[in-house]
Amino acid sequence: MSSGALVIGAGPAGLTSAYELAKLGISSTIIEADEQVGGLSRTVSYKGYRFDIGGHRFFSKVPLINELWREMLSEDFLLRPRLSRIHYRGHFFDYPLKAANALAGLGPIEAFLVMLSYSKAKMFPSAEETNLEQWVSNRFGQRLYEIFFKTYTEKVWGIPCNEISADWAAQRIKNLSLKEAIRNALLGAGKSAEGEVITTLIEQFHYPRLGPGMMWDCCKDLLAEKGNETVHGIKVDKIRHRKGRVESVVGHRSNGERVEFDADHFISSMPLRRLIQSLDPLPPDEVLAAANSLRYRDYLTVVLMAKREDVFPDNWIYIHSPEVKMGRIQNYKNWSPEMVPDQSRSSLGLEYFLWQQDEEWTWSNDRLIDLGIKECAQIGLVEPDEIEDGTVVRMKKAYPVYDHNYNDRVDIIRNYLETLPNLQTIGRNGLHRYNNQDHSMLTGVYAARNVVGEKNDVWAVNTEQDYHEEVRSSETEKSSTGYTKTMGDRAVPMPIVQDEADQIIQTAFARLDGVALGVALGVVIGVGLFLATMILLLKGGEFVGPRLGLLRNFLPGYEVTWGGSLIGLAEGSLLGFGLGFFIASLRNWGMMAYAYLLRRRAETEAAKNVLD
Amino acid sequence: MTTESITMAGNKQTEEISREVMRIQAGVLAMVCAVLGGLLLFTMTVWLLLKDGPGAGPHLSLLGNYFIGYSVSWFGSILGLVYGALTGGIVGWVVGSIYNLVVGFRK
Ligand SMILES: Cc1cc2nc3c(=O)[nH]c(=O)nc-3n(C[C@H](O)[C@H](O)[C@H](O)COP(=O)(O)OP(=O)(O)OC[C@H]3O[C@@H](n4cnc5c(N)ncnc54)[C@H](O)[C@@H]3O)c2cc1C
Repeated sequence: MSSGALVIGAGPAGLTSAYELAKLGISSTIIEADEQVGGLSRTVSYKGYRFDIGGHRFFSKVPLINELWREMLSEDFLLRPRLSRIHYRGHFFDYPLKAANALAGLGPIEAFLVMLSYSKAKMFPSAEETNLEQWVSNRFGQRLYEIFFKTYTEKVWGIPCNEISADWAAQRIKNLSLKEAIRNALLGAGKSAEGEVITTLIEQFHYPRLGPGMMWDCCKDLLAEKGNETVHGIKVDKIRHRKGRVESVVGHRSNGERVEFDADHFISSMPLRRLIQSLDPLPPDEVLAAANSLRYRDYLTVVLMAKREDVFPDNWIYIHSPEVKMGRIQNYKNWSPEMVPDQSRSSLGLEYFLWQQDEEWTWSNDRLIDLGIKECAQIGLVEPDEIEDGTVVRMKKAYPVYDHNYNDRVDIIRNYLETLPNLQTIGRNGLHRYNNQDHSMLTGVYAARNVVGEKNDVWAVNTEQDYHEEVRSSETEKSSTGYTKTMGDRAVPMPIVQDEADQIIQTAFARLDGVALGVALGVVIGVGLFLATMILLLKGGEFVGPRLGLLRNFLPGYEVTWGGSLIGLAEGSLLGFGLGFFIASLRNWGMMAYAYLLRRRAETEAAKNVLD
Repeated sequence: MTTESITMAGNKQTEEISREVMRIQAGVLAMVCAVLGGLLLFTMTVWLLLKDGPGAGPHLSLLGNYFIGYSVSWFGSILGLVYGALTGGIVGWVVGSIYNLVVGFRK
């Protein structure tokens, strides 16, 4: 079989790249191992109940992605309020964290200790900030870290927080450029330059009426309408390449039947480790070793159907309490009422983060459902007799792990992949990056555009400040090549467009040139003193300029004489220059200090969302 | 640290927010300095008159060397307003213009 492009994986990244290719007039075939599309963003159905792998909020600061979502789903895209809390030792705490609520819930003694540890962190922060523990403790203090971050994060990642790279947290707030922080502060909380309210992304989110899978089913249908087939049930296990070009991919159906596809361009969203292991011939040992040491966290969700209309008002609750294994619990009905077949019922998704080697991974569904029922009762959410049914969904490789050296290993792989220019890797596991759907999709769009000759760096998505986050849709219309511009030999999305608010900030924060102000004040003061001396000398008299002469206390050698006027000119100029330079530096540093203060505040706010 | 390296460090940081170098509107600076200069000399003169009465401010009166007719008197305060404004205006305009000239040159 042959086609223009071959896409591996019908998750958000793969489907979006095929969708973009179709827009660019290039046909593609999508190979998907599963019987369903959507990958991690699928919606699973069970006896009329629908549920996600986790809960998939649709929110993005990338206008292009928002446009794509609307284009695919239009009125089936709901805007939902967000409510999520933390459950810790019998108490519910607001999330994102609010100081007063957290301290009140912890009780006076713990609150006092929390404040002490917070003050200590502020006064004596850890100089090193390479792991997650240091990163969070520096911002909130060791005690708050232990209560609100440590247990949950370790449940999710299965490794101690001091083995998790600080990148993981920093990635969530890194998009706050100084400029963005100023813009938000000056234009009112969370407003972008166009006045779009960004903070509301935290308070509400979009969600497809029938769950995220609806988006991807719809995308698959749109692709099919244009003649692009999604082939299900084929797991790609070989990628044949020769002389720096991939020639074909080989896959197997579940019945063992072997299928081979050739194409001109290959876009893969399969996990990076697997991609490298599938290359035929295999890459050099160093690359293979780098791939083999990439780790993924696996995930299973136990879904319980409860005979109760309302169980809790939240979309989800983080379960920090160390006495239970579950990490989070979703209430799907609160995402969309259509996720349950009967409004007198609720369905709860209990999320367990595991390694495939963990014992629980191999437990039977019944045993896992029993565990879920027991833990729900243990934290006081639903009684066992209220549960009338349950099911389990296992999802391998749900989280690419950011352990200490993952970045170096990914770099090795990335460098090697550059030797195969007609193969691009995209998406969350494809790039081993903790991407949400939007960034996964954006890599798909870039890869598709690269097929027609653009040079977008898919690896730059969700890493570089200012760029993709602020790409404006208006830019898309500006060039046929989309909204990219070239930087070196790569194209990256256009940086911030100069709109009115940005222009105001640019002008207000423009640098005062110290040398220029120095020269200006130097000339004025030097010449001024020279003239003042000359005027007195020309006027003459018995004692010429006794008071002006006192300036010699500050300007050595100065006196009201012809020679002194020249000394005054020189020294006055020097003094003026120094003064001008000092004033300019002071003003520039003052403005920077103000900007940093605004960013620090905004970062602290953003850091409170680090669990999402 | 040399002057140049201090400037470089400052530049790098401000560039994150704004790549522009400030231009001064010489006319506006002249106007601001004129108002400030005029008011300053007027207020200083009036203040000395109110505090010490006629014959006050022997030192301030020395400005008469440059501002013909100026003295610490009620009439002098009006003249001071004009001279102060004139001098302030010229200083502001000269500072603004030279600043812009140097910025343009350095670009
Ligand atoms: C618990 C959880 C909660 C999340 N919450 C959100 C959220 O709220 N909002 C949000 O935007 N994002 C969220 N995400 C992230 C989102 O799910 C991912 O960003 C997105 O699904 C990644 O898309 P992808 O196409 O890169 O990869 P995937 O979704 O993993 O899709 C890859 C596809 O490739 C297929 N495949 C893999 N290997 C092969 C092979 N060898 N041969 C053929 N096919 C193969 C897979 O079957 C899969 O269908 C969440 C993720 C998890 C795990």
